[in-house]
Amino acid sequence: MEKTSSKFKALCAILALIAAAGVATWIYQLMGGLAVTGMSDGTSWGLYITGFMFFVGLSAGGLIVASSASVFHVTEYKKVALPAVILSTVCICCAGLSIFIDLGSIQNVWRMFVGLNFLSPLAWDLIVISLYLIINIIYLVMMTSKNPETQGKVAIVSRFALPVAILVHSVTAWIFGLEIARDGWYTALMAPLFVVSAMDSGLALLLLALAGLQKAGWFTIDKKLFASLAGLLATCVAIDGYLVGCEALTMAYPGAEGASMLAIMTTGATAPFFWFEVIVGILIPFCILVFAKNRQRRGLVCVASACVVAGVLCKRLWVLLTSFVGFAVPTPLGTIGGAEVWEMTIGYAPTWPEYVIVAGVVALGALAFVVLARKLLPAAPKSAKDLAQEALDGIVPEGAVS
Amino acid sequence: MKLGMVIKTSRCIGCDACTVSCKTFNKLGPNVVYRKVHKFEVGEYPSAKRRSIPTLCNHCENAACEKVCPTGATYKDEKGRVQVDQDKCIGCRMCIGACPYGARTFNWGPQESYWPATDEPSVIDEAVAGSHRVGAVEKCTMCKDRTDNGLDPLCVHNCPARALVFGDLDDPESEVAKLVGTGKTYTLLPEKGTLPQVHYMD
Repeated sequence: MEKTSSKFKALCAILALIAAAGVATWIYQLMGGLAVTGMSDGTSWGLYITGFMFFVGLSAGGLIVASSASVFHVTEYKKVALPAVILSTVCICCAGLSIFIDLGSIQNVWRMFVGLNFLSPLAWDLIVISLYLIINIIYLVMMTSKNPETQGKVAIVSRFALPVAILVHSVTAWIFGLEIARDGWYTALMAPLFVVSAMDSGLALLLLALAGLQKAGWFTIDKKLFASLAGLLATCVAIDGYLVGCEALTMAYPGAEGASMLAIMTTGATAPFFWFEVIVGILIPFCILVFAKNRQRRGLVCVASACVVAGVLCKRLWVLLTSFVGFAVPTPLGTIGGAEVWEMTIGYAPTWPEYVIVAGVVALGALAFVVLARKLLPAAPKSAKDLAQEALDGIVPEGAVS
Repeated sequence: MKLGMVIKTSRCIGCDACTVSCKTFNKLGPNVVYRKVHKFEVGEYPSAKRRSIPTLCNHCENAACEKVCPTGATYKDEKGRVQVDQDKCIGCRMCIGACPYGARTFNWGPQESYWPATDEPSVIDEAVAGSHRVGAVEKCTMCKDRTDNGLDPLCVHNCPARALVFGDLDDPESEVAKLVGTGKTYTLLPEKGTLPQVHYMD
């Protein structure tokens, strides 16, 4: 017990340190402007927006599993609902944070509250992500409540949670999918693609988190449930692969604009990310998880899950960057821009502030997760002070951690 | 009122006078342009020719950038020009992604100096620094200050080859409306449905 506690403190200290470095670098970025990043007019979004898409997706697994438990009466999922929602809440906060980090004029954000343009997908995102966060918090409060009546109301919230979860990924997709200017983004498949990527990366992260919590002795998940979630992950990975295939075929077949985008993805600047996603993110985990015997082996499921998470991160990168690489304006005299021009004169490589800030966001998220898990999970070790306060309040306390 | 332009590419000599005029009028720093002149080699040797095509904000009727702006910082003004309200811009860069023409620029950081080796700040650098806000998106305003007073945009005014024609597309008597009426003009990327108010003709 004493050993776990000191290990926990060390982990928190390391994460806090990385988060602090991230905050310091963000302040540096606020002073110097976004010029300290690798972004330019030709590649106007980079690692921060990738992080935003990635975190929105990662938060999916939790809420979808938790709300499915009530909506579709999959009672066994109820057992993991609490860690799932903690994970979901943390990830959506990281996503929101990533957007703020990416803004050039954060001092003007209040303009979104006084003069929101409801035609903008970013406005929809603000609304839906806020709703999503509120639902997550309501969930957390309800599930940790000791009042049995409140527990019963979880089912009602679930009915709202599931459609909002689907919407939050769709709206994130529409930030890209509705922009007719970019051939790589402008596709009706973008929203379903984001939903399914969110489900597989979110589920994979949930499995990794559950395995981690079990190892720490804070939570016990029975083998059958773990294998069942792994089976769901296999299904989502297969759908993801199917949609990527549909998109690639539709781009390739006419041999027109889309084919040049596909060429960038398969043989050009974003090819490493594309093939990593297809092989490591889809093929390998699917081949592992499709066999029931493999799904019983926790280590193997964790390897597959890590592959899926890494694969989806790469997918976010190629989805985002391919449309910048392939940006071109044809004129009767010749084409302005194009992949060659991008590679020779524009390009994009994240700078150290981008890496440090993103690492800070990840560390902050991990810190929030372990702290919340320790506070809220019944089996997690608690300090004597926490237990006393809990007994006094009858609810889970907020406050300083160990 | 729908202010617009017709660009006669066959008259363009590729001198970049429009780009330079624009940079001085809008006090743009190094590496920042609102409009460019793209040069192409057309045809095969021995009959190859160098041709140029200027591009700028198309001030689209169905502006993709206007729709996606979350705060309404980008708007179509009463004269049909697309403008950015610098005070409302949050720097999210949705509009840069949404523009099919790559017509927008972002103030990534403090403007660089035109004379980085000198210590004394020059008059030009001070003028540049004073007219741009870091973290906001900018673009061609169709020389709002000039066109509000009935003048041509400076790029049009300074074009030595008279390749640029400016006017009100809604006024059937204007030269631009007459040129568009001939049916010989075209716009860039018409399939995007943005309905540019900058037309081209040979």
